[in-house]
Amino acid sequence: MRSERATARSGNRDLERDQDRQPSQSGDGGHANIPPPTSHFSSFSPRFYAGTLRLLRHPVTRRLAQAVLVAFLLMVFAFLLVRLIPGDPAMILLGDVATEEDLIAYRKLLGIDGPLHSQFGRYISNVARGDFGLSIRSREPVLSIIGKRLPVSLWLTATTIFMTVVLALPLGVAAALYRRTWFGHVFQIVASVFVATPVFFSGLLLILLFAVQVSLAPIAGYYPGFPANLYSLWLPALTINCVLVPVLARILQSSIIETSSEEFVEAAIIRGTQGWRFYWRYLLRPSLAPTIAALGYFAATVVSYAVIIEIIFNLPGVGMTLVDAVRNRDYPLVQGIVFLSGLLVVGLTFTADLVNGWLDPRAKMR
Amino acid sequence: MTIESGAPSRSLRDTLVSPAGRLRLLGLGRIWQQLNAEARWGVVILALILLLSVFVPLLSPSDPYEFVDLPLQPPGATYPFGTDHLGRDLLVRVFAAARLDILLAILGVSVPIVIGTFIGTLAGTTRNRIAETLWDGLVNALTAFPEIILVLGIVAMVEGGVRGLLIAIWISRWAQYARIARAKSLALREAEFVQTAHVLGYSQLRILVRHIMPNVFSEALAYALSDFIFIIVIIGGLSFLGLGVRPPTPEWGAMLAEGRLYLRTEPWLILFPGFFLSLTAIGVALLARGLEQISKGEEG
Repeated sequence: MRSERATARSGNRDLERDQDRQPSQSGDGGHANIPPPTSHFSSFSPRFYAGTLRLLRHPVTRRLAQAVLVAFLLMVFAFLLVRLIPGDPAMILLGDVATEEDLIAYRKLLGIDGPLHSQFGRYISNVARGDFGLSIRSREPVLSIIGKRLPVSLWLTATTIFMTVVLALPLGVAAALYRRTWFGHVFQIVASVFVATPVFFSGLLLILLFAVQVSLAPIAGYYPGFPANLYSLWLPALTINCVLVPVLARILQSSIIETSSEEFVEAAIIRGTQGWRFYWRYLLRPSLAPTIAALGYFAATVVSYAVIIEIIFNLPGVGMTLVDAVRNRDYPLVQGIVFLSGLLVVGLTFTADLVNGWLDPRAKMR
Repeated sequence: MTIESGAPSRSLRDTLVSPAGRLRLLGLGRIWQQLNAEARWGVVILALILLLSVFVPLLSPSDPYEFVDLPLQPPGATYPFGTDHLGRDLLVRVFAAARLDILLAILGVSVPIVIGTFIGTLAGTTRNRIAETLWDGLVNALTAFPEIILVLGIVAMVEGGVRGLLIAIWISRWAQYARIARAKSLALREAEFVQTAHVLGYSQLRILVRHIMPNVFSEALAYALSDFIFIIVIIGGLSFLGLGVRPPTPEWGAMLAEGRLYLRTEPWLILFPGFFLSLTAIGVALLARGLEQISKGEEG
């Protein structure tokens, strides 16, 4: 009787595995209050239920489930994006002169033929297989277009994040340690100014400064290949960091100030901990969690700004592809990029949460 | 805030009057005295820009669309900001753009704040767990999209131009307000002044509209200031990409895109519009930070 219940609860696989290991168990039934000594994975033991329950309630699992739900809803949004266009998208693309056959062919290309629920089913199964449809303009698969343009955007993101860490950490620490001196006040004012300056203006200013006045960077364009591309990427990365670094340095500053009033910091000072060990283990590491979380949150901002940055600096990345696609009304391409960038941000936020839990034992994931 | 501390009547009033009610009790003239240095600077900068944007196009002899002189004149006595690539007066154009940008940003903020607060307050009153999970997912999904990319996606679907831009901003920005409103209204259900209203026998609807909504709204207004910066940057950014306000209309982002071609030789074409766009954003940011510090200081 118990085995039936176990089957019903935890599925066949667990039962079979369990029977392989401990055939004697299934007969008389291990009573719930006597946990068998070796059956850590046994579906019969209450410990297994407790374990499963703990796993299900574990913050990481819950966070993952939430991320999957969000990813599914992103897909629904991306699906609706084309369906909510006022009027017939095929008619908009082809104009009045289109014949009936052309219209039907275009509707098929866009995946908007047939009833809505079958459209949605088709869309989900296509996306699950990595098929985002064909670009209307070039008739190339959307995924391969994105794949071709992605390396530039990834290099830009990597350079940006590297530069952010290198600049924001020392600035945040310095701003916290010297917050009552002139440095702290100047930092506050300069940070406010930089955060509020739009990237498309600061980008142009930086081009004026570094590419026109002194030629430390190209005015526009991209040179592929690892060391060479840094020459064209450092200025765009710096532009994004004009916004990102002040924000993150400020968050780090306030969290270091908060940490420094904790008892364990006082205890470390009393014990005579000094130098790097003190700064890293007692001050910086416990304070990093909010900064990492913010970095995860700002992933969306970085990806957004990258679009404008790629246009200003003429970098052939995904952002430039998106803007071209919007101009050309290349619906499948727009849809694919919007969905994938949303997915990227969900993944990055999730990763930031994980890193957070590891860095700061005080931080409990919700 | 216990009743025993100091004057009993005042502290009782502090407990029973809602934050929004307290704000109403505060006279308008005393607000300036309550502001700190940052908020005052913000108010001064914004007032200056508003005044200039009203009076410069009004008093100037030239029209923002009029070709007044040779193109690309450097800044001088007749044209303080110089002329642009078509020979139009840059000064007039910059401040005509200020009018349009600020107006569009206000329009862009005001619709999501109303829709979002309403939806969020309604969502805050349900206690259904499945509805809550779905709601969380929905709002998270909408906020997970990189902002500019979502706006671009919607602009691609609706036709471009000012109307498409505003619709895209409205669709993509309400979720943050709904999130704030829901969190706040959940907390407010237990607040003393709401309980007091219950005890007095007011109807649910009256409590929701008269007591919860105004307080949720004040929280959302605080967020709206930082959202304003974001939206004015998005409007500029999309116009810069050629997908928002279209060129002959004076708009900061579109002017930056035009001036970008003359970056090497005539940098003032981007310096003036960019400077005033940044200054507006800085003014709002200072005001927002100042107000945030004031509210923190009062609570802490």
